[in-house]
Amino acid sequence: MLPADTALPPLSLYIHVPWCVRKCPYCDFNSHARQGAIPEQDYLQALLEDLTPDLPLVAGRPIQTVFIGGGTPSLMSPGFYQQLFAALAGSLSFSADCEITLEANPGTVDEARFSGFRAAGINRLSLGIQSFDPEALRTLGRIHDDQAAHRAIEAARQAGFDNFNLDLMHGLPGQTPAAAVADLEAALSWQPPHLSWYQLTLEPNTEFYSRPPALPDDDLLWAIFAAGRERLTSAGFSAYEVSAWSLPGRESRHNLNYWTFGDYLALGAGAHGKLTVAGQTPFRYWKTRQPDAYLQRIGSRTAGREDIESGQLPLEFMMNALRLMQGVPECLFQQRTGLPLDQIGAILADLRTQQLLAPDRLQATPKGQRYLNSLLEAFL
Amino acid sequence: MTELSRIRNFSIIAHIDHGKSTLADRFIQICGGLSEREMAAQVLDSMDIERERGITIKAQSVTLYYTAQDGIEYKLNMIDTPGHVDFSYEVSRSLYACEGALLVVDAGQGVEAQSVANCYTAIEQGLEVVPVLNKIDLPQAEPERVAQEIEDIIGIDAMEAVRCSAKTGEGVVEVLEDLIRRIPPPTGDTDGPLQALIIDSWFDNYLGVVSLVRITQGTLRKGDKILIKSTGKAWGADSVGIFTPKLKETGILETGEVGFLVAGIKDIHGAPVGDTITHQKSADTPALPGFKKVQPQVYAGLFPVRSDDYDDFRDALEKLTLNDASLFYEPENSDALGFGFRCGFLGMLHMEIIQERLEREYDLDLITTAPTVIYEVVTKQGQTVQVDNPSRLPDVGSIEEMREPIVEANILVPQEHLGNVIALCEEKRGVQKNMLFLTSQVQLTYELPMSEVVLDFFDRIKSASRGFASLDYHFVRFQPANLVRLDVLINGDRIDALALIIHRDQAHYRGRALVEKMKELIPRQMFDIAIQAAIGNQVVSRQTVKALRKNVTAKCYGGDVSRKKKLLQKQKEGKKRMKQLGNVEVPQEAFLAVLKVDK
Repeated sequence: MLPADTALPPLSLYIHVPWCVRKCPYCDFNSHARQGAIPEQDYLQALLEDLTPDLPLVAGRPIQTVFIGGGTPSLMSPGFYQQLFAALAGSLSFSADCEITLEANPGTVDEARFSGFRAAGINRLSLGIQSFDPEALRTLGRIHDDQAAHRAIEAARQAGFDNFNLDLMHGLPGQTPAAAVADLEAALSWQPPHLSWYQLTLEPNTEFYSRPPALPDDDLLWAIFAAGRERLTSAGFSAYEVSAWSLPGRESRHNLNYWTFGDYLALGAGAHGKLTVAGQTPFRYWKTRQPDAYLQRIGSRTAGREDIESGQLPLEFMMNALRLMQGVPECLFQQRTGLPLDQIGAILADLRTQQLLAPDRLQATPKGQRYLNSLLEAFL
Repeated sequence: MTELSRIRNFSIIAHIDHGKSTLADRFIQICGGLSEREMAAQVLDSMDIERERGITIKAQSVTLYYTAQDGIEYKLNMIDTPGHVDFSYEVSRSLYACEGALLVVDAGQGVEAQSVANCYTAIEQGLEVVPVLNKIDLPQAEPERVAQEIEDIIGIDAMEAVRCSAKTGEGVVEVLEDLIRRIPPPTGDTDGPLQALIIDSWFDNYLGVVSLVRITQGTLRKGDKILIKSTGKAWGADSVGIFTPKLKETGILETGEVGFLVAGIKDIHGAPVGDTITHQKSADTPALPGFKKVQPQVYAGLFPVRSDDYDDFRDALEKLTLNDASLFYEPENSDALGFGFRCGFLGMLHMEIIQERLEREYDLDLITTAPTVIYEVVTKQGQTVQVDNPSRLPDVGSIEEMREPIVEANILVPQEHLGNVIALCEEKRGVQKNMLFLTSQVQLTYELPMSEVVLDFFDRIKSASRGFASLDYHFVRFQPANLVRLDVLINGDRIDALALIIHRDQAHYRGRALVEKMKELIPRQMFDIAIQAAIGNQVVSRQTVKALRKNVTAKCYGGDVSRKKKLLQKQKEGKKRMKQLGNVEVPQEAFLAVLKVDK
């Protein structure tokens, strides 16, 4: 429990848009293929109804960042976001430099649409490119080809988005280190300030999980990673998190808030939130997943809420904080969890003896970063 | 009282799959031992594991009342016997309670080696063996040929053998008629002092020790003061009766009968198998000859994965031995695995069953070390030491001679698979003693090192013969052999629990295969793991489990925390069944890698 006199963590807002043109075989997010028009007005109404009961939990706290994820949020019209933000401004306060990111699928956008998003207040884009290799894009079940990917980035730039992220996967079926580097080259040619370069993993409840494609083996994956790391580093990028790369000062502030164990409001079907209220145990909560059920419910769409018990807090804090290459200062542990650092003193000492943890920060050593999942077991 | 002439005590000798349980079920059905509703399939096999594996482990009995075609009602005591080679000693025990045995042979497959061995035991014990040709409904049945084979191999008249199908019920009544005609009724002095043989004892949670007894003389009544001859202890007979196969109290067991006794005994060692029961008032009644004490053939160390489970493990072993006097155990301390027990088993199946029961019924995670036979070591001082644990082998410098146990194996195999089976016996260092060509099978006799036979020989011989060869074996002697201890080192540390005693000629090959197998079984970790096999200081093979490249979740955002946490929990669960040796996590299977190298 956080003592009443401790400063509350920064607050973000996550908004989920659950619809997609088609479900990708690797995707385990709450996304649903939708034929026909999306009921934008109904969804807008539902979001606002859903938010109202949660407002007292964050009274007086400004929103520092917003992330609109999916599904495919770029399927919604700019007008939808214009109305949404106009309505949200009436009930929430946004900090002056609020980062507002929208996830966009290259197969769903053009310059006009991007301009519209921008006019609605969105100031950062995250483009789900995944690969520039046409064969890989087909394997991944993407609705766009490599040409569409290039066109989408160009359109985003034309519309004035210079703050954007490109999502790229590696470790794709049949991929070689050279092919992975070629993907990075194609991305770098657009001079993005931020890249999410993450390894394809087979998640439960996906098509790939039940019918797994042949993935590169451990050694090849490492070769791909090493080649990509070298290329990104030479381009001036640094990894500030396991899979997040950026130019200096261009980190995703929204994601940094997750990884520094900040708070976030949840809005939309299947969205998850985490909040700290002074004098209470921090808790997670989540919204009704199914889009139709979300639309049909009345009032709050919260489907569940769970306190993060003090026994779980160190693990959850570390699962996030140690993903950051620089880690976090030791004092952040108590600030975020309300627990004294002494409580995990013995575990930290043991991990430091094993040289998995840096001596005076909550930061994994390079070895600890490589084996983060093994390291984290210590907090279970 | 039932006149002796109306009692028949018999066992069924049959190989696994030859239809013994089905035939027993038919008998029970015909005699009305159970109602239709109670007639669950294969009622005699009551332990879960027995059912799952389709085998009988403990002896069971059932009393049936059958009205024969001569109009007389007979009391039939059927004593069931185990069908697997590991438990052959139980067969001989059951036979002591009988005047006859049905030899049930699959009319399609012919005689199998173990049935032959059991028949010889029955004949030696003076029993009348009545052959039955089962499964005549099958298209491949050849009753004439199989009858000839029975005559050739066992030497009993089989031309008149009843042909039946336990499955369809055809001929089953004729089997009952034949056994009444041919198996003699029991004899004994009905008025003499009580003399009863304990055929089996087991522990029941509600009743305490229940003993299966055969009355050879006199009468046992509920309420009698009885005496166990070997312990000299007196007890009150609380309950006396027959098996239907449920316990049914009758209050009396008379000369020639088979039934149960409950006498408030809390420990099966208080009612030892093979012991004699008499009345306290006639304490000087002589004891019956009893049985040979059964010796474990295979030894292995069992260790709890978590050392704080040690007390639970000891309690579980104590409870298991309440029901299984053949299980031997004594404390063992391993440098690598901590405190555990060295256990002796009748064979590999017995070992698997015990391990499975400990894990399943007592919820223990155990590590079993490689099974070994007993070796004899003669030291330079002239002492003979028995070694049941490779890590306890005396120092090489002090050994004068090492001897390994040799068995005589009898194998029956159809001619077309003879070559494969001989090749296997040669590979296993066998020496051929005899080969006899029968109508369609060949009877092979080999002397083999027991260490080669107990591990996987049974499975190997089955696969070498498409399942048709059968095997029976018994210990004959210890014989000098060129044996060495093969050590396994993990990251330079000698792991006592992984040591093996093997023949020097095989040391290099086995060492290589073992290390390769262990490399497959030990998961990649944060560092390279060197696995070496060594004889003394000479390393005979080496493999490296390369360090895992990385182990990190690619993505974790706000909504992923709960799911990613579950993955970490799962990862940790997986390690619960691993043992930490130094800083290396070694899975349970790796300790038994030696069993997997030949497959």
